[in-house]
Amino acid sequence: MINTSNGMISTSSTSANTQSPGLKTYFKTPEGRYKLHYEKTHPSGLLHYAHGKTATQVTLANLKDKPAPSTPTAQPSSFSASSGVRSAAARLLGTGNGGRALSFVGGNGGSKGISSTSSRIGSLGASSSSNSMINTNYDGKGSYLIFNVGDAIFISDLNSQDKDPIKSIHFSNSNPVCHAFDQDAKDGHDLLIGLSSGDVYSVSLRQQLQDVGKKLVGAQHYNKDGSSGLVITQVTKKVSEKCGILGDVSCCKFELKRRRCMSIAWVPGGDGAFGVAHADGNLYVYEKSKDGAGDSSFPVIKDQSQFSVSHARYSKSNPIARWHICQGSINGIAFSTDGTYLATVGRDGYLRVFDYSKEQLICGGKSYYGALLCCAWSMDVKYILTGGEDDLVQVWSMEDRKVVAWGEGHNSWVSGVAFDSYWSSPNSDGTGENVVYRFGSVGQDTQLLLWDLEMDEIVVPLRRCPPGGSPTFSTGSQSSHWDSVIPVGTLQPAPSMRDVPKLSPVVAHRVHTEPLSGVVFRQESVLTVCREGHIKIWMRPGTSESQSSNSETISSTSLREKPLLSSKTGSSAYKQ
Amino acid sequence: MGAAGSKLEKALGDQFPEGERYFGLENFGNTCYCNSVLQALYFCAPFREQLLEYYANSKNTGDAEENLLTCLADLFTQISSQKKKTGVIAPKRFVQRLKKQNELFRSYMHQDAHEFLNFLLNELVDILEKEAQAVKSEPETSSPPEKTANGPKHAQANGVSKEPLVTWVHKNFQGILTNETRCLQCETVTARDETFFDLSLDIEQNSSITSCLKNFSSTETLNAEDKFFCDKCCSLQEAQKRMKIKKPPHILVIHLKRFKYIEQLGRYKKLSYRVVFPLELKLSNTVEDADIEYSLFAVVVHVGSGPNHGHYVSLVKSHNHWLFFDDENVEMIDESAVQTFFGSTQEYSSNTDHGKHGAEVRLHLVRELFMILVSLVGCWGSRSKIANGVTGVRSSYFSDVHVCRMQVSILSHGILVGLAMISTRLPCES
Repeated sequence: MINTSNGMISTSSTSANTQSPGLKTYFKTPEGRYKLHYEKTHPSGLLHYAHGKTATQVTLANLKDKPAPSTPTAQPSSFSASSGVRSAAARLLGTGNGGRALSFVGGNGGSKGISSTSSRIGSLGASSSSNSMINTNYDGKGSYLIFNVGDAIFISDLNSQDKDPIKSIHFSNSNPVCHAFDQDAKDGHDLLIGLSSGDVYSVSLRQQLQDVGKKLVGAQHYNKDGSSGLVITQVTKKVSEKCGILGDVSCCKFELKRRRCMSIAWVPGGDGAFGVAHADGNLYVYEKSKDGAGDSSFPVIKDQSQFSVSHARYSKSNPIARWHICQGSINGIAFSTDGTYLATVGRDGYLRVFDYSKEQLICGGKSYYGALLCCAWSMDVKYILTGGEDDLVQVWSMEDRKVVAWGEGHNSWVSGVAFDSYWSSPNSDGTGENVVYRFGSVGQDTQLLLWDLEMDEIVVPLRRCPPGGSPTFSTGSQSSHWDSVIPVGTLQPAPSMRDVPKLSPVVAHRVHTEPLSGVVFRQESVLTVCREGHIKIWMRPGTSESQSSNSETISSTSLREKPLLSSKTGSSAYKQ
Repeated sequence: MGAAGSKLEKALGDQFPEGERYFGLENFGNTCYCNSVLQALYFCAPFREQLLEYYANSKNTGDAEENLLTCLADLFTQISSQKKKTGVIAPKRFVQRLKKQNELFRSYMHQDAHEFLNFLLNELVDILEKEAQAVKSEPETSSPPEKTANGPKHAQANGVSKEPLVTWVHKNFQGILTNETRCLQCETVTARDETFFDLSLDIEQNSSITSCLKNFSSTETLNAEDKFFCDKCCSLQEAQKRMKIKKPPHILVIHLKRFKYIEQLGRYKKLSYRVVFPLELKLSNTVEDADIEYSLFAVVVHVGSGPNHGHYVSLVKSHNHWLFFDDENVEMIDESAVQTFFGSTQEYSSNTDHGKHGAEVRLHLVRELFMILVSLVGCWGSRSKIANGVTGVRSSYFSDVHVCRMQVSILSHGILVGLAMISTRLPCES
């Protein structure tokens, strides 16, 4: 991209005026105004695209071990104070937020303040804020954004308003494409990075921050040169033999494409286990405690179209298991917050939900058409969102084992979805079940859309079944029941357009000039990121209210502007 | 190019589809528009099969007078009966015939692939209709070849209301649109059917084909100077109009209108917008909820920054492999490389191809590109670079395209138009 020497000028700003006259720095929602707080980007010009372009993904990382409570340099106090409550390792991005975990199950976080933390399993944010020890600079507790652009990983300090990253790590042979962070990692290796070559690294984020170089330090290397990808199928083997082993370029090119990492996630509560999904339809499970170098070999996959799991023959080597999930690429994976389920989406358009420990397919279904690109769980593990090439945001119910709603509103592919676990319905008074879920989606149409999923609303009987006709068989949720019970372990075909209730977005806002690749919800802000590696941080309305502890000028200004919205602050009464 | 051929054979190894032939087509000076469309048609399985079948039958009946249909069939036969699996063929007779038939294509100027496909399909239909008439009603009706360009309803030729002849070309490519107009005064809905061989879609930056199709079928209000004459009210009234697809074709051809007339510039400008297209597609704006799934099988891509020059290449899916056809060259590409032809999110500094070509542009017909979506798969897009002038076009493209080939995985900035062909999953009633 023709870009402008000046390191500070982001690509987006140069191209900002192409399409529309500038982007607004706020957007209104029923509950108030979200305001652009600041942006994060990377120095342009430093990038190498020798290995092709890759869309940027973002991982949010909260480092808490050696916290520097009071005032770490360069961090507005507002943030550090509340960081215990803030989400931790939210994994965002195109591939779903597998890393995000919730400490409680049930009720979509009816109350904001409560520890909507996302730590994985047991250990909680609460403890983190109590530690105290002062550390210098990058070494301290803090929130960081980890994002990939070109052949590099950048790390930005989320709490500083500085646009530029504090650290860059370059990879010479390949592009980093996906990453994940586990804030509760025991032995220091908390960051995973997957490359387009299929290579995978685990490292300590803190160690990277302490190091001044531009290389990865102290890394454990798995799947070197994508070795596990080489044993994939007989067919590919034959091909490589035929073309004179490694001699043929085009052959290797294809081989490489198939090995590419697509999505990576820690297994919540998995004690250092993580999964890496590849473009060849395989997901490999590793344990960081095991040897990265001794590669396991797996039997040839007999039927590419069938799901199968193979375990390594030797218990000491990595990867420990290979899940062959589908033909074609796995585009995104996400573990449920409790680590029970693994959801995958892929090129074949199917969402698949597995019982992770039993290694069994539970349910799943096909998109309306085209590939699915991203997926995310609700905190209570009741719903899964997917987004894909049919421009739809799909809501999958675990209870009904089928699609319960389609969100129509994007004008292009949906590249990122996430539930907003910090949001609570203005109407909810803690009387009980919180039936409204707020979620967000971003697309290649450069828009961020926010949606409210109100189970009551989508219960609307479908056209095919007479109102009030069939009895509800599914317990609990009143959601629709137009079909007979769906047996465990089956995949649903694409539903027909008229059979699925439609949702409309509460808000649609064009947030970047480039196609978006991810969205992340935090307690006091929403992050959006575009494929080119620019990140915007949007403060929620009335941020200062909800976190009175962190007074900040910014939040107070946003408060002041609120009256611009109709008088009903925060819209308590919207959406009856 | 034997080397290239063998490289392709190597790449495919024992996956080389039985009986299939991958041949590049020689360029006779700006005939890439033709080559790219021919490749897309050749790999449109139902079309190729039926053409070859037709040809085999008609050969038996003797007297084959040369026309575009026979030239096309000849060419396809020639390709499919090659001994070698890969190579290059010169579509000489076909191109000569084309130039003879239509002066539009006679010059060495850069031509529009969409125009060409449209012309070709209509020409084939005409030929088939004439033949059918000659056979059926040998005695009478030497009726003037009803200029049936898109002719669904030449209702009553010669007084007798005749069913319009449905040829195999129609069966593959023809769909029916319903143009519904609702008078806002009396609420009467007037529906008018039109046939089509392709859908020409307006495009927007950072959108998807799905969204372009939605816009195509969105409701439009006719008012002010644009009022509608309502037969019931017997007067001009405000009305709402929308286009729905009444009968989806087996092979859906979608043309992205990447060329737009910019008044201030007094010329056409290429819109290199990023328009993504999935490898499968359903038409949601149909009269009945058909939910027919199409798969993309071909994309014709215009490479270059302006309407008057540039280069056409095509991406074709054959037996689950994607191939990249660039005149003589054929290469295998990964499915994911199709995405590099979506277009660009950056706009060119609009005046790149100003000056020299400005004048020429005005002389020409609208060159819109298109894509063909066949119900299997379809895509389009391309990259753009500025060519230096019409004469230098070939060589400069060459280098462009070369780059394109070498770095398929890199999203090049500029994408152009393309045509994509999609054919229905299990096309035809066969």
